[in-house]
Order: sequence, then C-alpha cells, then structure tokens
Amino acid sequence: MEKLKKKIRSFSFWNWVIASIIFRLILIYFPKNLNLCSRPEVSTPLTSFRRLAEGYWLKQSSMSPYAGSMYHGSPLLLSLLGPLTVKRIEGQPNHLLYSLVSVIADVVSAMLIRATGQNLQVAYFGTLKSLDLVKQIELSEVHSSGDVAALIYLCNPFTIVACVGLSTSPIENMAVILCLYGACSRLVPLAAFGWVIATHLSLYPAILIIPVHLSFVLAICDLLLGYGPDAPPRKLFLQRHQQKGLSSQSKLPPGFSWGSIIHFAFWALLWSVYVLVLCGISLKQFGGLWEMFKSTYGFILTVEDLSPNVGVLWYFFAEVFEFFRNFFLIVFHVNILFMILPLAIRLHHRPCYLAFVYVAICSMLKSYPSVGDSALYLGLLGWFVNELSDMQFSLFLFCGYVGVSLLSPVMHNLWIWRGTGNANFYFATAMVYACLQIVLVVEGVSAMLNHDRKLRSLILDKPRDAKS
Amino acid sequence: MAETIENSHSDEKPKPRVRPIVRFGIFLVSHSFLVSIVCFTSGVLALFLLPVLAKNTYISENALMPGSASPMLSNQHVSDGNRLVKDLTNSNLKSSETGIESHKIIAQYMLDVGAEVSFHKFHPQMNQFHPLHFFSSPDSGKIQENYSCSSYGINTVGIIRAPRGDGKEAIVLVTPYNALTSSFGEVLSLGIAYSVFSLLTQVTWLAKDIIWLVADSQFGEYAAVSAWLREYQTPKFSSMSALNAEMCPDINNLFEIEVHSMAGSKFSNSFRRAGTMTAALVLKVRDQSEQFDDTISIYAEASNGQMPNLDLINVVNYLAVHRQGLRVNVEKLWSFLNLGWLKSLGEIFESLANIAKSLNPKFKFGIPATEYVEGTAILASSLYYQALGVPTGPHGAFRDYQVDAITLEISPKFSLDKVWRNDIILRGGRLIEGVIRSVNNLLEKFHQSFFLYLLTSPSKFVSVGVYMIAFALLIAPLPMVAASLYVDSNSSSNCSKGDSSTPSAITDTDEHGITIRSWRWLNSAKLVFIVHLWGAIVSVLPYFICQIPDCSPTTSFMIWVLLSILSLLILNSVLASPFACVKASQEKEWALVKSVTISSVFIGLGLMSVINFATAEIGALLMVPMCLLARPLKLDVRAGTFRSCCRIICNLVLGHIAFPPAAFFLLKGMLDGFGSANVGGFWMWVESLWAWNSATYLFIVKATYLSWMSKADARYQRNIFNIHSKKG
Repeated sequence: MEKLKKKIRSFSFWNWVIASIIFRLILIYFPKNLNLCSRPEVSTPLTSFRRLAEGYWLKQSSMSPYAGSMYHGSPLLLSLLGPLTVKRIEGQPNHLLYSLVSVIADVVSAMLIRATGQNLQVAYFGTLKSLDLVKQIELSEVHSSGDVAALIYLCNPFTIVACVGLSTSPIENMAVILCLYGACSRLVPLAAFGWVIATHLSLYPAILIIPVHLSFVLAICDLLLGYGPDAPPRKLFLQRHQQKGLSSQSKLPPGFSWGSIIHFAFWALLWSVYVLVLCGISLKQFGGLWEMFKSTYGFILTVEDLSPNVGVLWYFFAEVFEFFRNFFLIVFHVNILFMILPLAIRLHHRPCYLAFVYVAICSMLKSYPSVGDSALYLGLLGWFVNELSDMQFSLFLFCGYVGVSLLSPVMHNLWIWRGTGNANFYFATAMVYACLQIVLVVEGVSAMLNHDRKLRSLILDKPRDAKS
Repeated sequence: MAETIENSHSDEKPKPRVRPIVRFGIFLVSHSFLVSIVCFTSGVLALFLLPVLAKNTYISENALMPGSASPMLSNQHVSDGNRLVKDLTNSNLKSSETGIESHKIIAQYMLDVGAEVSFHKFHPQMNQFHPLHFFSSPDSGKIQENYSCSSYGINTVGIIRAPRGDGKEAIVLVTPYNALTSSFGEVLSLGIAYSVFSLLTQVTWLAKDIIWLVADSQFGEYAAVSAWLREYQTPKFSSMSALNAEMCPDINNLFEIEVHSMAGSKFSNSFRRAGTMTAALVLKVRDQSEQFDDTISIYAEASNGQMPNLDLINVVNYLAVHRQGLRVNVEKLWSFLNLGWLKSLGEIFESLANIAKSLNPKFKFGIPATEYVEGTAILASSLYYQALGVPTGPHGAFRDYQVDAITLEISPKFSLDKVWRNDIILRGGRLIEGVIRSVNNLLEKFHQSFFLYLLTSPSKFVSVGVYMIAFALLIAPLPMVAASLYVDSNSSSNCSKGDSSTPSAITDTDEHGITIRSWRWLNSAKLVFIVHLWGAIVSVLPYFICQIPDCSPTTSFMIWVLLSILSLLILNSVLASPFACVKASQEKEWALVKSVTISSVFIGLGLMSVINFATAEIGALLMVPMCLLARPLKLDVRAGTFRSCCRIICNLVLGHIAFPPAAFFLLKGMLDGFGSANVGGFWMWVESLWAWNSATYLFIVKATYLSWMSKADARYQRNIFNIHSKKG
C-alpha cells in the first residue's frame, strides 16, 4: 500500500515535470517570446539576453565586450552562451538554442533541489528518530519535501518567465543550487565549485560561504552523532541525553573544526584561480581582469544603471543627491552584511535554512533584482514544507505575490505606454514587493524557531507523560 | 492527557501583548458583517456624493496662457474658408462618383497657402483582438494581408512648417470628411479648418508644425485616423508599400495624373511627417441642430477609459465660454434627468448643505438640486463611456500613442444664410486658433493637470483622489470578509478535530503540528485557479471563433457557449477534478473557497481600478454584494429559516443579474423594450468590445466566471453531499 502510494506520487511528480517543460516549450514558440525579454521585471542589466548578445558581438568584432557599458556579465558566459545568441535554425524561433539551454538549466536545478530535499528529509527523520519522536511522524501526513521544492521551482511562474524571457538567471540559480547541493551531500569540491561560480556570476552568493561552512561543520558532528545538515539546536540533544541519564557531554564534538574549513578553502581557492585564469585568457587583449572586475562587480556595487526594476535601489539613487550617493551605497550594501552575523548565530543549527534566508535577503536588497531571484528562494522554501507547516499569513503572502506580479506590469504600462502614470506608480509596487519579501522572511524564520520550540516542548513533556 | 498538555502550554506562554493596530484589525475582522454593510452603503453613498464634491477646473499649466492674445482670424480668412466650402459643394453637385475630385480641390487650396501636401492612401483595417495587446506597446506595423484594390481611402495631409520651430513638435488638426456623401456639416468643418490653416501660414508666432489631416471617413472616422497614425508612428522600412503600389496600378495612375496636374513644388507623393504630436483636435460640425444657442460638444473618452489631459479640455472650455460665447456641452445620459428619486436626493443634499451653512457660514459645499441632477447625468455618462472602453470619436486613436486629443463638435443654430455661415466660421475658427496658440506655448508635453478624472460638468471635475475613496469604501469589505472567513475556517476545523471521538490520536497530531494546517487553503486556491483558467480560455475563444467564415452572430454565440462548456469539462477531467477530490471531513471547505475567491476578486478589482476605474467601479457595484452573499445553496436549504431563504433569493437573483448576458438583456430590455433583445445581439456587443481591445471585455469575462464561481460553490456542495449520501 505504502509503496503504491509512493509510486503514484512519484508518477505524478514526473507528470508535472514534463508538463512544465512542455509549457515552457510552448511559450518559447510564441512570437517574439511574448516580449518578455524586454520586461524590466525579467531582465536586468546583468541578466539581459540582449546585452549578452551585444557583448558577444563586440567581442567577435575584437572590441572589449565591456565597451560602452552594455554588457556586465562574466566573460565565461560570453564564451559559453555567446555563440548561441547568433546561431539560428531555419524555420524555428530565433533563440531556440539559448532557450533550450535555460530550460535544461531549470530542469537540472530542479533535480538538484529534489536530491537535496530528499537528503534533508532523511536527515530530518533521523533527527526525529534520535529524539524518539517517530510516533508523531507516522501519525501526521508528511510531504516529500524534495518533490515539493522541485515542483515549486519548476512550476513557479517566476521561474517560467525568467526562463522564457531569456535571462541568464536560470544559470545563476543553478550555480547557487549546485553549491547548496554539494554542501548538503558533503561533496566539498562540488560545493566549492558552485560557490565560486555563483559568486563569479552575481557576487551576492558570496555570503553563502557561511551556511556552507556550517553545514560542513555540522556534517562532522553528523558522523559522530547521526544527525543531518538541518537539525534542531544541539542543546536539545544535550537535554535529551541528560534526561536519559547519560553523560553525553563527552560524545559531543567541539563546535568548530578547522579541518573542513581548510579543506573547503583549498578547493575554493583552486576553483577561483581556475576561473580567474580562464577569464584572464579570454580578456587578454581587452584590458584584462581589472576591466572585468570594474564592469561586473563595480557595476553591481556602484548601482550605475538606474533603469527601473523590481528592486528599490534604482528609484532611491535616482532621487538622492550626488554627494550623498557614496554614503548611501555603503549603507545599502552594509545592510546585507549586518544581517549575516545575527542570523548565522540564531540559525547556526540549520545551515540550509540559513542559506534560504540569505538568498531571500539578497534578492530583496540586490542592486538589480529580478523575478528570477525570487524564483530561487521560493523554490528553496519548499525544502522546509514540513517545518513551516504552521507559518502564518501564508494566504496573505500568496495573494500579495499574485497581486504584485500582476500589478507591476500594469503600472509599468501606465507609466511608459499610456503616460497617465509616473515612476512613483511603478516604484510603489516595487516597495510592496520588498515588504512582502520582508514579511516572508520574518514569518518564515519565526515559524522555524517555533518549530524548534515545539520539538523541545515535546521532548520535555515526554517524561511527564510517562510518569502520569 | 490532552488537557494537561494544553495547560502546560498556556502556562509556558503568557499571552503576548497585542499592539493597538493589530487589535483594531482583529476588531474589524470579528465584526466583518457589520463593517462590510457600513462600508458598502457608504461606498454607494459616496458615489452619489461625487457631483457635490466636484471641484471647479482650473488651468494648471502656466505656459498655456489661454486667451491672452487677441485672435488674429479676420474676415479675409473667413472668406477663404467660405470659398473652399463653395467649391466643394459645387464639385459635389457636379460629379460625385469618386471622392478624388474634392480631395484634389482641398490639396490645391492647401498648396495655395504654401503648405506641404501629401496624400495618404490606406486600406481600412479590421480591428483584430489580441489577447495580450494591453501589455505590449502600441501595435507596430502588422503584416498586412492582401487587399482588394477597390476599397481604399485617401487622407489629405497638409503641413505648415513653423517659422520659429525646430520641426520637432507638431499640433494636429483633424477634420473627418467623406467625399462620397459629403454633408454640409463636414464641408463646413473643412471651411473652418481651412480658414485657421490659411491664417497659420502667415503668423510669426508659430513654434510647432501644424498638421491638417482631412481624414477620409468613408470607412469610419476612427479607421482613417488610426491608419494615418499607424503610418506616422511606425515608419516602414520594408518594401511593403512598394508591393502594395504594384498590386494596384490604377490607383497609382490616378496619383500620377494628379502630380502632373498640380504645378506646386511642395506636393509629394511620399508620406510626410512633422515632429512628435503635442495635441490633436478633431473638428466636426453637426448637420442638424435644434439648439437655441450655438453649442460645442466635447468628446474626450479614448479606449480603455483613458482621458486626455484635463488642461486641454480646460483650455477649450475657457476659450469657448469666455472668448467666443459658445455654450459647452459634455455628453450626458438624458434618461437620468427625469429620474424622480435622483431629484429628491439632490434636494436632500441641498437642504443638508443649507443646514450646514446655517450652522457655520464657512461650509459651502452645497449645489442646487437641478445642478446635482445634471452633474449626476454627466457623471453617469462619463462613467459609462469610460467603462465601455470604446472611444467616443476619432480622438481615441491618438491616445494610443500618448497624444492628448479631443473631439469638438459644433452644433450651430441652424440657418442657411451667408451671414450666419460667416459667423460660425469666424467663431469656430477663432476658438481653434486660440487653442492652437495656447498649445503652441507649451514647452513640454501635457503633464501638469489630471489624466485620471471624471467630469460632472464642462467646468467641474472629480479627481482621482476623491473618487478612489468611494471605490475603496466599496471594496473594503472584501479583504475583511476574506480574513474573517479564513480565520473562522481555521479555528473551527481545530475545534472540530478536538471534539471528535478519538481525541488522543488527533490532538497529538494537532499538537506537534506536522499537519499542513496553515496551507489548507491551497486546495481551494487550486479550485479558484481552475475556474479562472477556464475564464481565461473562454475569453480567448472568440478570437478563434471569429476565424470561422460566414457565421451569423447567433450561431457563433452558440458555438462559443458550447466550446466554453466543453473546455470546462476537459479542464475538470484533466486537472484532477477539483469537485471530486474533496475529503468528507472538509465540509467547512466552502468557507475557504469563498475566502480565496473573495481575495482574488479583491486583487482583480484593485488591478482594474488602476487600468480602468469606471469598469472597476461598476464591476464592484455588481460583484461585491454577490461575493459577500454567496453561500452554498445546500446549506441554506437545510437551514430553512427565513433569513436563509432571503439569502437564497438574493443569491440567485444577483448571480443571474451579474451574469453578463443576463445583465445585457436586462439593460437592453429597459432601454429598447424586450422585443429587440436576442442572443445575437449579445454577440455583436461583445464583438464590438473586443474589437477595441477593450480591457472591459476581459473584465466582463472575469465577471462571467465569477458568477459561475458562486454557482460552482453550490455545485461543489452538492458534490460533497452526494459523496456523503453514497457513504451513508
């Protein structure tokens, strides 16, 4: 019976995967890709397909791809994806090959998410087992978090739009997910590779180094104690063991192990040197690496392009006085850094969840956010479907996301095409969107902490039950 | 055991202090019934208060300076215009088989005053419905199908280059003219335009180019203007025009002859352009008129309820009233003027205002009852035309390219003598001249004044900030009721679980909370999504149906209905049958479904109010009570009390009235008597709507599936009931 159920479930999972792929292909065959690649919500200066094509064209005509402030991505993307921007198949849509690459990237990411989710689920069950809470699992309906997360990622309209809109965010997302997958399955070289590539492509994933490290550190614990990458706080285990009357203090590992960090650092260094050498080779005659750093990372950090997007920075820096600009640049970027440490301390026992929170915060405070970034963290949210079952405001958040994603194109239309609105209209939706993301993060974190509390209370109540 | 656990919980967690704003929210949600009634009635009341709250218009852009210069149009120019009128009427009497002759005359006149002249040949284009048109840019040149050479129109375009301008901006003057059946009104409007045109070639103050478009209105005024605008805004670099020309040699020959016959050097056969358009005026003269006074009617509504900048209307209104002594009209729904209750409402408002004034003489917001009734009639027509989304004249074509445009229709006191004709040309011409001179002063495009407004008289308006309050009051109940339903369904499900027969197991699951409790709404969201998807499919269907050749409206309507039902069945079977996959324990599910539906309606109405306010307002008036009253029939029938009976009746009536075909029939029946209403009529009406790419159309379809939603609720309950009975 159980097996049959599982079979049905997996069958419908593959059905949905295929349906989402077919849906993407149908959309690709629409004329002009429904104008999606010119929408500000989909393609930012960093991820725009047209800029990629322009950069490739500049490079082909032996000019620096960064000339004229058109292209701001990685030179590696130029060499990998550039040829696809010009290659055409007769009788097919113009950018079929490139679209296929993004579809494949989406599917690969979904599969990686699924594998990671299954990993997490096994770990979760392991934890509950070690805490003697197995009875509760059997009673309640538990969703396979890997499948849920993968389906959320694949069927999310944001992901579909980013994929069909020919932006490069599916590839950036894939790098981030690769990094997390490597961390959760304890493949240090893979994790380091994902981290280096993700950082190289969009800079912000650099802060993922903390959750990745934590997961390795916890992985060491895992070997000793038998609990996985995401688990309730270690104190719980201590309490549990104390109640059992074991003096388990000796069994607990030291919280920090230098070995894994050095291991990771070595691989990260290796990969980054490798990437930099490749970039250096491809940019040898166009100003070298310095030019690249200036027009990729520099472009991200100084917010040069103020064309509208779903973020809040463009409007702010269009309004701010020039002599305050540097100050506010620092403020906004330090904002992300400020949140790193408190969150890392509070959520150090759940590195994957910490990674989710970091990704969400980055996509909120990024200089050039797009819906592709939201697609990533919404997909990651699916991993914690069991833990977050009691999240508040879920309907409100859902309606908010639906409303904003419909309202944003309308406001853009009012501003640009009809001329009856103005920039404030569009910026209002961007602010609402940012607020929604904040609510999501806050509610998500509090729901996770509540979950941990609930587990603790269950453990503490157990002995009392036994007595009564 | 369960109790001890609960106790320990309550001991552990002291009740958190609730912030005042949260407490206020909780209060609103818990009293949602009362609050929604209050909000809804006050929303309706506020709608009727709008004519009272209307402000006087004022000219917001200082640069316009209307009427600051004395008009320069003299009798000389009037006699020029008269000459053109005479020539045109003579040529019409002589030969009326083709309109070419009169176009030639107009072109010759334009050349005589030293303007650049070109002909624009166009094929009337059928309006095509594009489901995604709204979010894209104004349509660029579509691939055009083969046209027969016999049907084409000719626009005559004259351009005056401004002596002081850099040729980057232009003002457009449009006179629709049908050369085949040229009525006297049209000829007269040409005369007025020509007198202004001949003046403008001589003046020195002109800083923007003037384009005079004589639009060939034999295929409709709108088609001609929009064809010219499409050509103007989207230059064609392909060989399409050449190809067209090759296909129709006879037309080409005609043009050749003309070019030779006209000696002027400024004539060109290619398309001529001036700069970006700042404003456009469409000038018409009505043929018959029974007015006592010379009046001028302003038509402003463009597609999708867009309005031109209020400043343009202000300038016209100011100049017409204060300089030329014309009466200005805007459209009104005449049937409103005779409504008794409206009059008494106006009297009530007036007496209230009087009382307020007696209390404190500073309160001055009352208006006389007659003025109130007239304001309401104008407001109603303003709402109606904006909601319909169909432009009220050729000015609508300009708004698609962000050009502010209005139609001026002069309806003169009718008589045929020459003095009168001179007078009307003089006054009309001076009005046009004044408006052009004002617009000529503009440094930027119109941006100062309002774009979102409703008129209650030519000199009074209700701005977006005021009418949005009425709308917000109207839809405020929706989120509250949705929240209260959601909260209720969540808490009640918990209670029922606690009360059920096997407490230990279930409370246990409840306790450690690995049930997906807070995500239970996902099921109902799926149901709502499927219904919405069906609505989207239904709304796209006519696009394919109209591809079928030779269909009478009735048959195509039938096809539409059949296909819609079929698509519902298919969706139902493919997407895991939302009506059947319900567990028996979830009888309270309808509350969640209703909550999700209401929130989706709220989102939809909010969106619509941004796109097209008037549609949203009317839609809210229909849909909000329906949403709030919707309740499964089964439950009410079982309850069997008087209150539930009333609710059933309300539900059924509202559900049927708000169903668009039904609403259409009722309206039509009220207006023309029930005899004329038929199914085909509805199809025609819908067709006319989507032909204009109207967002209203999408909205109406949305209303369709909304009303289905309440029925779906009922059906859904019936299904559950069936399952029950089978089990029992």
